[in-house]
Amino acid sequence: MKKFGRGMATIMFGFGYGEGFPDHSIASIEIKEDERIVIRTAAADVGQGVITTVIQIAAEILRINPNYFEVVQGDTHKTKNSGSTSATRQTYFTGNAVKKAAEDMLANLYHYGSLEFRSNHPEIAIEDGRIYMYDDPDDYISYWEMAERVKERGEKLEAEGSFFPVTYSPDENGQADKVYVAYTFLSQVIDIEIDTDTGTIDLLDVYSAIDLGKAINPKNVEGQIEGGTVQGLGMGMMEDQVIRNGKTLNAGMTDYLVPTSVDVPKFKHYLVEEEDSEGPFGAKGVGEPTLIAAAPALANAVYDAIGVRFFELPISPSKIKKALKEKEKEENS
Amino acid sequence: MTDQNKRIKDYFCKHTTRCTIEGVKKSKRFVGHDILKADAWDKVTGEAVYPDDISFDDMLHIKIKRAVHPHAILKDIDISRAKKVQGVVDIIVAEDIPDVRQFGLIIRDQPVLIAPGEKMRYMGDALAIIVAETKEAAKKARDLIQVKVEELEVITDPFRAMEADAPNIHPDGNIVITHHLNRGDVDEAFKNSAIVEENRYQTQFIDQLPMQNEAGVALYDERHGVVDIWAATQWLHDTQADVAQSLRLSKDQVRIIQPTIGGAFGKKEDVSVHIHLAIAAMRTGRPVKLCFTREESMITQSKRHPITIINKTGVDRDGYLTAWETKFVGDTGAYASSGPAVVHKGMYHATGPYNCPNLRGVSHAVYTNNTYAGAMRGFGTAQGAFAYEQQMDILAHKLNIDPAEFRLKNIYQKDSITPNGQQLTHSVNAEETIKRVMELSDWKGGRK
Repeated sequence: MKKFGRGMATIMFGFGYGEGFPDHSIASIEIKEDERIVIRTAAADVGQGVITTVIQIAAEILRINPNYFEVVQGDTHKTKNSGSTSATRQTYFTGNAVKKAAEDMLANLYHYGSLEFRSNHPEIAIEDGRIYMYDDPDDYISYWEMAERVKERGEKLEAEGSFFPVTYSPDENGQADKVYVAYTFLSQVIDIEIDTDTGTIDLLDVYSAIDLGKAINPKNVEGQIEGGTVQGLGMGMMEDQVIRNGKTLNAGMTDYLVPTSVDVPKFKHYLVEEEDSEGPFGAKGVGEPTLIAAAPALANAVYDAIGVRFFELPISPSKIKKALKEKEKEENS
Repeated sequence: MTDQNKRIKDYFCKHTTRCTIEGVKKSKRFVGHDILKADAWDKVTGEAVYPDDISFDDMLHIKIKRAVHPHAILKDIDISRAKKVQGVVDIIVAEDIPDVRQFGLIIRDQPVLIAPGEKMRYMGDALAIIVAETKEAAKKARDLIQVKVEELEVITDPFRAMEADAPNIHPDGNIVITHHLNRGDVDEAFKNSAIVEENRYQTQFIDQLPMQNEAGVALYDERHGVVDIWAATQWLHDTQADVAQSLRLSKDQVRIIQPTIGGAFGKKEDVSVHIHLAIAAMRTGRPVKLCFTREESMITQSKRHPITIINKTGVDRDGYLTAWETKFVGDTGAYASSGPAVVHKGMYHATGPYNCPNLRGVSHAVYTNNTYAGAMRGFGTAQGAFAYEQQMDILAHKLNIDPAEFRLKNIYQKDSITPNGQQLTHSVNAEETIKRVMELSDWKGGRK
């Protein structure tokens, strides 16, 4: 028999290292004569999309098409420390560092532009890679020409930005004024169907609402929600590295079960975008929070479906079958 | 030689990337738009360079001989038969590298190679680095290495590890670190609660399972005294510092270049191939490559912590949380890795996003002889949420309130105080996420 169940979970996640641990990111931007804008950051793109995120932020500030950007990624001898890609921190930390570098670059464009046009910043317009006087848009200097002219001065058209917010180390009672820079919140409802004969769980629908401040790239956020949730559901219903007497019994993809495309449910989500955090354009991190609600929402859905609580992960078909048998026995006796 | 220089230069350049903006060409705003991922094209077409794609003409291949028992003293290691395998260039054991220091993310407790008289603490510990002309030769030689050990008690359970008579896995004892949380008067609040619910939760070992296993290539630039390492890491400069201190080099002498990273999820925070690669490259003077198999990756590199969570939660008649007592015991396995940060981060989030004035908590990260546990997406809070969100559901049912309504009653607002005593001064829209998800799912008291 198939039994429908629905469960909810709401979670929070304090992102960044926090706890007074030094946490910062450094990035730089250079405009080159050959029509390239180079961003240098050691922030590792592990697939989550930090490269794209920082290009969008810099393009927005520098008012030029993202196509002109090139990102030089992690090389200890070419890029400065950006901190780790972990703790849901790169959009917030490196995003802010790149934003600051881009703002410094914009200031440089105004500075050198005002020298070239013998004018002051308010009379100058900057957009689409051109610098000009408001009253004469046709007489412009391109960013690339400006890079050339700055080079002739013996300087480089470059800027650096760093972001280093403060947190405090908790005392012996775990107390401090500011332990994490900010929190991301997420609520999720998961619908499932349990086959009471086999104990298998069919994942039907997942509804998510996430308080993320601002989505720099909504599609990539959607990717995080779906990927994170599926990984969390793996934790909830199948993944288990079995280590007995110190030895792993299922070291390989044959015996270690992980969700595949056929397990993936349907997704609907809502982004709460209040733009009220201190991240770039109000953005908060989403990487880890998207995983956390899945296993408890699933456990609550399982209870809703069959009236059994599972306190141990994963909630596998064999555990479900065993629990159903015990429940039946209890009800009959 | 020029040919090879050119190719090396290639590998220094490939990690730049460009962004395309199909569909938003005319826009003046770029934040908030679905701009195509900058790395999408290279990944879809196979242009992206992963470590195993990097190759040099005279490159050698590495395999690692690993522990034969989860907790044992190494008595003897015999490499004489292995050395005779055709194509073997070098077999490096601990006595060849006496100056090399231990490494580790937070506590430097991991040995680079286990020396005779020292202990292996889990099945992933390295005993020898085999360097050969081919992968096959390295593998064959690895399997011919003979090891004698004196077996010790294998500790698989953190609660056993904490007992007074349990043998110490590391010299300073088995409890790596303990943290506390204390706010308000928990005992008094439980006395005055309408319902008190106590449960014990248990989570499991999970592999982060990035598609790409640990892999890398290294090259020793003798002229400049710099070792170049192409291998993924989630924190480039931290890995650089750890490799440098372990090998007693300056940071400038260790250059790490990120190839394309095929996923990480926390698993690539720890040093994996890096130090072994550098040692082999410096000793042989030739480029070297080391790629883990999936099996090796799962046994050797970090896991999600199994955490035992005991939660005792009180509510009053009106459905407001009164007190919360929690205990987190995390199995961090043979080495600390991120364990000293993971387990208590879970505890710091033990109540979820709910107001609770009285709180008491303790967390322990504990050594065992299991594969070490470290960082994985969620970092202790995913385990914590499995426990606190079931507590909330159980209490809602006992109170006979809609679980969503029960959450709304207790949810953080601006100026709420977290378990750490942090006042939430900005960006607290937790209530709206509940309301929105209720709308989205057409929530009716939990039933469809």
